Parts: sequence; C-alpha cells; structure tokens
Amino acid sequence: MDTLVKIEKVVKVYRVGDEDFTALHDISLNIEAGAFMSFVGPSGSGKTTLLNLMGGLDKPTSGNIFFENINLKDLNRTDLAEYRRKNLGFIFQTYNLLPVYSVYENVLFPLLLDGEKESAVRQKVLDLVEKVGLSDQVNKKPAHLSGGQCQRVAIARALVKQPSLILADEPTANLDAENSYQVLELMRDLNRQLKAAFVFSTHDEKVTKYVNREIGLEDGRIIWDKKRDGNGVLE
Amino acid sequence: MIRWILAGILRDKTRSLFPFLVVMLGVALVVYSVGFMEGVFMGMIDTTANLDTGHLRFVNKPFYDEEHLNPMDRALAAQKETGKWLRENSDPKVQWSPRIRWGAIIDVPDEKGETRSQTPMIGMALDLLSSDSTEIERLQLKNAIVQGELPKGPKEILLGDQLAETLDVKPGQTVTLIGQTFDGGLATDNYKVVGLVRFGVSAMDKKMGLIDLANAQDTFYMEDTVTDWLGFFPSHVPYTDYRKVSSELQSRLAGFREAPPQGWAKDDFPIVLSILDQRNMENMESMFKLVKKIIVGVFILLMILVLWNASLLNGIHRYGELGLLLALGQTHKKIVWMLGLEAFFIGLLGSLSGCLIGGAVVYYMQEVGINMGDAFVQTGMMVNDVMRGRVTLEGFLLGIGPGLVASIFGSLIASVAIFNRSEANLFRELEAG
Ligand SMILES: Nc1ncnc2c1ncn2[C@@H]1O[C@H](COP(=O)(O)OP(=O)(O)O)[C@@H](O)[C@H]1O
Ligand SMILES: [Mg+2]
Repeated sequence: MDTLVKIEKVVKVYRVGDEDFTALHDISLNIEAGAFMSFVGPSGSGKTTLLNLMGGLDKPTSGNIFFENINLKDLNRTDLAEYRRKNLGFIFQTYNLLPVYSVYENVLFPLLLDGEKESAVRQKVLDLVEKVGLSDQVNKKPAHLSGGQCQRVAIARALVKQPSLILADEPTANLDAENSYQVLELMRDLNRQLKAAFVFSTHDEKVTKYVNREIGLEDGRIIWDKKRDGNGVLE
Repeated sequence: MIRWILAGILRDKTRSLFPFLVVMLGVALVVYSVGFMEGVFMGMIDTTANLDTGHLRFVNKPFYDEEHLNPMDRALAAQKETGKWLRENSDPKVQWSPRIRWGAIIDVPDEKGETRSQTPMIGMALDLLSSDSTEIERLQLKNAIVQGELPKGPKEILLGDQLAETLDVKPGQTVTLIGQTFDGGLATDNYKVVGLVRFGVSAMDKKMGLIDLANAQDTFYMEDTVTDWLGFFPSHVPYTDYRKVSSELQSRLAGFREAPPQGWAKDDFPIVLSILDQRNMENMESMFKLVKKIIVGVFILLMILVLWNASLLNGIHRYGELGLLLALGQTHKKIVWMLGLEAFFIGLLGSLSGCLIGGAVVYYMQEVGINMGDAFVQTGMMVNDVMRGRVTLEGFLLGIGPGLVASIFGSLIASVAIFNRSEANLFRELEAG
C-alpha cells in the first residue's frame, strides 16, 4: 500500500502562560492510503493535536508531516486551505451541521463552495445520502434528526468531494452504543467502497472492533501500534 | 451560492431579522426625513413663487434693480407680444402669468369720507377675472379666503387678513389706493374690499393685497404693460431643474432683445431669473442640502454602529458554522466575502422595505398633508400651514445607498474578527458545539 501521510519526528509544544507544554513528543508514523485506523488514549493524550496537525489546521513545533510527498510545512495559510479543500474530509464529535439547511443541502454545501452547479451534482449528492441511509430524511433539517442520523449526514458531507483522507475526532462520543455501531459499520463500508482513508481519534473501546489499525497514545507518546493480522486479530 | 445565501437569510431569522429591521427603520427614517424636508422646501419655494417670484421670473432689469421702490415707470410694455414670445420660446412645461407688482398707500375712509386709517401696502395684480385664469387655482385662493369672497367685478380687492385687522376694515367697505402711475404721476382709485385672505405667511398676510391685473392696468395707467412675467412649473418638476430652464431661456433672450417689440423703451433690458437667484433662496438651498447630508450621514453612522454590533453577535452565534467553513478549506477572504454578500442582500431587502414604508408616509404627506395649524404662521417663514412631503427619486436613493453601505460596512468591520481567527483550535472549538 502507498503511504498517504508520513509523520516524521513531530513535536508539538504549546505555550501556556510562561510555560511550555509538550503535547506531542517525537511522533513518527506512516498512514497508508485507504487505511481505517484510530488513535486511542485517555483525554489529554494528544489525539486531537495529532489530527489537527494532519489536517493542516496547525503546524508542528518541529518535525515534518508529508501528505503524498507534500511537506505541509511549506504551505502558507491559503495553500493549507486549498490542501484541506482538495484532500480532506472532517467529521466532528458534535456533527457541526448547518441547522438552517436540510440534509440534502448540508451534503451539497462543500460542492457549492467549490463553485459546482447544483443541477450538475444533484444526483451525486442524492446517491450519497442514500448510501448513508437517509433517503427518507433528505429534506429534513438537522433538528429533526437523531444524533446517529446527524453523524451520518456529517459522514456524507465529509465524503462528497471524494477526499483521500477523512479525519474524525471522536465520532462516536456523542452516540449511544446502537448508533455508534451503525455509524462505525457505515464508515467501514464506505472506506471499502470509496477507498478513502479514515483516521479516528477515540477513547471508545467499541471502535477497536472495526479498525484495521490502532495506535495507543499516552502523554503525547505512541505506546503501541497494533495492526490486524491475517486472522483478523489486532496485534 | 447566491440561492444558498438567500435561503440562509430567509430561514435563519436570528441572523437576518435584526439587521433587516435596523436597515429598514434607518432607511425609512432617511426617506421620510428627506421627503419631509423636500416637501417643506418645495412648499416654501411654491409659496414664495406664487406670491412673489415665480419659479422663473421675466423682468425688466431697470425695474428689478430698484424693485424695493416699485418703480412702475420701469415696467415692461408690449404685454401681448412679450407673452407670445415667452410661450413660444420657453420650455413647454412652464406656464407664464403676467403680474403687476405695485405699492400704494391704502386709505380707509369713515362715513363722512375722512381718513380713518392709512398705511403703506404692497400688492400683486394678477388675472382674477377672466374665466380661463389659472391664478385662482395656483394661489389656492378659495382656500385662502377667510372672510368674504373672490372678486367678481371690477375694482374689487382682496386684503391680507392681518392687514385688514390693522386697518379695521371688513368686506363690503371701500378703500382708496394712492400710488404711482406708469408715467410717474399720482394714481388714486377706489376699490371695494370683497374678501380677506390668509396664506399662512405672515409677511404677506400683514401687508398684502390682491387685485385683478386689468383693473391695475387701469388704475396705474399701464395699458398692455406689466412689471413681471412669472413662470410656473408643474409641481412634479424638481427645483433643481429651474436653473437649467432659466439659463436656456436667458440665452434665447439675446435674440429677442435684438429685435424688441415696438412698445419697449430704449433702456428696457429684460432678464430671466430663477427663484433660486432671488430672496436668498440660494443660501436656503445650500443650507437645505447641508442638512440633508447631515441627516443621511448621521443615519449611516448610527446604522453602521448598530449593524457592526449585530454582525459581531452574528459572528458569535455562527462561530461553529464559520469554523466549519475554515475546516472545509475556505479561505478567510472567501468567508468574509460570503458574509459581505449576505449583508448586501439583507441591506437590499431592508432598504427596499424601508423605502416603501418611508415613501408611503411621504406620499401620504404629499397627497394629503398634515395640518400644523398656526404653528408656522408666527415664524414669518414662507411656509404653509399644511406640512407636505415630497416623493423624489433622490429621496429613495438617499435611503437605499446608506442602507447598503451601512449593512456591508457593519459586516466588514465585524469581519476583522473572523479574519484574525486561527484554525489551530478548530477541532476543539467545534467539539464544544
Ligand atoms: N491550544 C492549546 N494550548 C495549550 N494547551 C493545549 C492546547 N491544545 C491542547 N492542549 C493541551 O495538549 C494536550 C493534548 O490535548 P488534546 O490533543 O486535545 O488531547 P486529546 O484529544 O487526546 O484529549 C492536553 O493536555 C491539552 O490541555
Ligand atoms: Mg480530543
């Protein structure tokens, strides 16, 4: 498998008042194209920080992050926005749907921002809404949907531009067990169909059953890195 | 994208209703104030024009130079020929009225014919008796009569009601006018007071009398001679057009002076003036313009302040949405542009609604008027009792412009905060919901 993201000796230091706080210590790892993996660890272990850096939302204090051989360090603010627009999808713990727009419109939105004409992409959006199982809700507003349904809309929105990397920060944290399983299953199916890499952060053990790779974080350090072997066991 | 933004504005009342109302109210007030001022100013212009200067005035320069003395001997002869020339050579919208501006001593006799009271007065002679006269309508004389009736026969006079009060005369009594004839002699003639008029302009009501033009020509030996030709525009022509028409006519006048009517004297030199050249109207006009600018400026400033705050609140209210846009890879510039576009639409809708509301009130004032009673009579200003508005295109433009400017400006100032927003904490911010 090709390497999609290469993280090389990344250190992230936050300045808090007069003191430096090191949130990530010397992290190195590769993420393959089409991966389905998670970072697990207790709160404060640095999961979100790592996703932030991969998303080009913030820069490492030292070290490099390559996305398909582009060093994110070399990109300015505008380039980074373009990097996100072209390559990334985001899924958030609290969905962050736009409340005044329907399911259909929420999924359509990233395409509109890219200057697409609605008529040209209408079918594509509807197909995706069907894929996430919300055809019956297509004209509803987020307020009329359950948490699980909202997260499905967010997944469809993240995927609509066919990005190669989806970053999902604690995607199941606000969902009950039943909905968590459904959402994880959906993401796994889409990962197989669409070949987009999914990278989660989570402290939810339910996620473990689904991912192909799990990296443990503690105090900003990788403490283990397990991949599913031929027998389907994480090791 | 534009449909998307419009949908957002219409569906999310919290983001659009308040700025919409602010713009609507502000614009309504601007349109109303401007319309009201236009109305007052036009009312002032029209009253002055009707009783004194016309919108345009064709007058002999030697008369004009000494008009405070009412030099009847400097009046302009060849009334018929002059009138014909004016009608043929000026803008067809203008109606020309021949007038005689006269001054006299008015003498009120007692039963024995001895002088009971006497005072100098000024007067205007105008066509009151011909059946096709436009003057009665123009001066709204039927409304202005507070006692008695309009002249119906020869040598009848209307007096300003305050003048009549000072002189203690009532309709039905006969008075004597003692003045100067065209050739410099003494003119005396008896007139019967038939009615008292009030124009709501105390300068006039205290001093003025109106007689028929033909009677005046008889009394002052001024056959085929008048002191003034007053030109009147229909009320829809804005005062700003007067100067242009006036100078057009002025330039044609040179030809007329080359080949003058036979009756004109050697040193007769008629000129054309617009009302804005007389009675200090030009200063009034520039003051009026200044006040308009101040009003519009103040409203823009107030609207910007309020909308700036509203946009800041909006930015907080939609923190998540804007963060999402950043995460989706929108540049800060694009986001500010989108918000600006949104503000533009809200501003446009608000401005149009404000124009409708403000315009409706002004239209009501224009058509119906609000009677202010005696409130203005005391001031001596040339203002009518009835406050009127005036619907003008400028009034609407003065409303829509500021509405849009304020809306967009307010949003842009607030956008500085968005511009400076960092992406570094988006995940954490968006987690907070
Ligand atoms: N902007 C910041 N400024 C200072 N400290 C931060 C900032 N963001 C995160 N941290 C700290 O970095 C550590 C890792 O945070 P985070 O990546 O959010 O952990 P996780 O997502 O695993 O809970 C925490 O101790 C947190 O307090
Ligand atoms: Mg976190």
